[in-house]
Amino acid sequence: MHPTTLMYTSSLLLMFAVLLYPLLVTFTSLPLNNDWASSHAKTAVKSAFLISLAPLSLFLSTGMEAVTSSWTWMVTTTLDITLSFKFDHYSIIFIPIALYVTWSILEFATWYMHSDPLMNRFFKYLLTFLVAMLILVSANNLFQLFIGWEGVGIMSFLLIGWWHGRADANTAALQAVLYNRVGDIGLILGMAWLATNVNSWDIQQMFILSKNLDMTLPLLGLILAATGKSAQFGLHPWLPAAMEGPTPVSALLHSSTMVVAGIFLLIRMSPLMENNQTALTLCLCLGALTTMFTATCALTQNDIKKIVAFSTSSQLGLMMVTIGLNQPQLAFLHICTHAFFKAMLFLCSGSVIHSLNDEQDIRKMGGLHHLAPFTSSCLTVGSLALTGTPFLAGFFSKDAIIEALNTSHVNAWALTLTLIATSFTAIYSLRVIFFVTMGTPRFLPLSPINENNPAVINPLKRLAWGSIFGGLLVMLNINLFKTPVLTMPAELKLAALAVSILGLLTALELATLTSKQFKVTPLRTPHHFSTSLGFIPAIIHRQIPQLTLLLGQKIASQMVDQTWLEKTGPKAIANATTPLASATSNMQQGLIKTYLTLFLMTLVLVTLISAT
Amino acid sequence: MTPTHFTISSAFLLGMMGLAFHRTHLLSALLCLEAMMLALFIALSLWSLQLDATGCSTAPMLMLAFSACEASAGLALLVATARTHGTDHMQALNLLQC
Repeated sequence: MHPTTLMYTSSLLLMFAVLLYPLLVTFTSLPLNNDWASSHAKTAVKSAFLISLAPLSLFLSTGMEAVTSSWTWMVTTTLDITLSFKFDHYSIIFIPIALYVTWSILEFATWYMHSDPLMNRFFKYLLTFLVAMLILVSANNLFQLFIGWEGVGIMSFLLIGWWHGRADANTAALQAVLYNRVGDIGLILGMAWLATNVNSWDIQQMFILSKNLDMTLPLLGLILAATGKSAQFGLHPWLPAAMEGPTPVSALLHSSTMVVAGIFLLIRMSPLMENNQTALTLCLCLGALTTMFTATCALTQNDIKKIVAFSTSSQLGLMMVTIGLNQPQLAFLHICTHAFFKAMLFLCSGSVIHSLNDEQDIRKMGGLHHLAPFTSSCLTVGSLALTGTPFLAGFFSKDAIIEALNTSHVNAWALTLTLIATSFTAIYSLRVIFFVTMGTPRFLPLSPINENNPAVINPLKRLAWGSIFGGLLVMLNINLFKTPVLTMPAELKLAALAVSILGLLTALELATLTSKQFKVTPLRTPHHFSTSLGFIPAIIHRQIPQLTLLLGQKIASQMVDQTWLEKTGPKAIANATTPLASATSNMQQGLIKTYLTLFLMTLVLVTLISAT
Repeated sequence: MTPTHFTISSAFLLGMMGLAFHRTHLLSALLCLEAMMLALFIALSLWSLQLDATGCSTAPMLMLAFSACEASAGLALLVATARTHGTDHMQALNLLQC
């Protein structure tokens, strides 16, 4: 086996082993210790993320893709199914991103679900979901993909109905399963047609043998499957209802990973769709309708999680539009960048909800900018990334999509709807930020506002880094399959930015109208000038002391003392070196076992390196 | 790698891992040491058989003799540890710990 393929396959195997080990431990009847969730589950996902960086770096340096077929599962006369994994551009880039986001979410969930007696079971479900998602993403044949597909559907049901004492949660879970099932009919239709006409479920064989066939029927089936799983218009109600589940579930399943499974399926099958104009137009119009409809719904929601859920639905519609434009790679890029900022938005909502004692109505929040500054900053960064602020993560994918939309031969209706939905994105994002972080508090005085827990800060920080740099990193390191159109009139190039800014200004105007009176100018008479002594004492006597005090605070205290001396200067060196020094001295305490272990590991490493 | 080679190497490696990762008892470390010696003994015995080299036929016996000396030295250390520290728990052997 070629060493690169060996590396890809062994990394995936190691990832599965690392992720399945905590699950298998739970199947024995040993009682789990209290912090199994953080010591085993989260560590497993962190290790799996670090392992997945190895194939990623190999792929980025060599560009080599691989397909591995191993164990033969079923052999019939005409169809045989093997266990096969596809390590291509899409799966190698998506798996580290999914694991990074899951790691952050699991760490957050150790804080969020802390008071839940069944927390270990929650983590078990999340880990099972992750394994199913990895199976889906790395599958090379439709049977394996279907296994992952069903797995994520079932785990979604179990996790949405986590608080199953609540009737609404049960209804929502049932809704999720039923709508997904309708989509599954489409997937099975596609699989059956392909099995009988193209004689295989392997991706490579399907692509080659279907060149001259009319693929409309199976493509309609696959589009139905994507409609069900990715909540496109018609099968969309389950996604907002799925917010009945705990916030980590919403962050993981219903924003970053599960709902993109339908789009991912269409991306994998995109060579089948390239020449079928019916399927492409259907995707385009369905996606445009979805993104417009759900963005409209998000404008007037009052539950913070529902707003973010509709936002997810709108972005999924945008991904569908991109597939309809015959640009699967741009849709994939949007999946990757969207995972970062959408998960962060959900985690910020979770932090806010817990801080305000489980209050989810944005009309009852406010002023959190001063009370929970870190969370509000992350909320702002996430919303900016979502609206496509230049050079944050969302910009690279969203702007590329809208440019492609503007310069392709598409119907104007889809184009208009998508642009309007983009401006609506800015509007509801501003609405969330305005109601949650700005203004004065509208919640009860004794709220347990505390974001000072590292289990909250670290995940948010990690996802914030991802939201800021993720788009840039992904864009710098990939090759675009289709040449983008680079020359267009200035109006088209700036269209996305212009509609977002327009939406932002409109939203600002509308938001400030809610608490101010409509009469814009006060009644001014000329004698006010001389009565107030020309306003001179009023202005100068306040401004100059305020300026001085501000200067003192900002420069002397914050800039010099806190920033330069404490965070970046001498104290930062001490704070960075102390953990390193204590870790090193912890290892060198004179225990024989440490030394022998290191000896053995060095021996093994030397043997491995010298053997290659 | 032939199956024989693999078996002996893995037996040695497992013994060495047991020696490195011993947890509580000094006796288990000594047992792993004995296992390593046994693997080496079998390896040496098979060496002359596989390669049809009669020159090194005496090597296993020498190996066994030295292994016996070393095992007795180890056991003497174990008994001394038990006499001075009271147990053979590894946690008791922390004189050098800072």
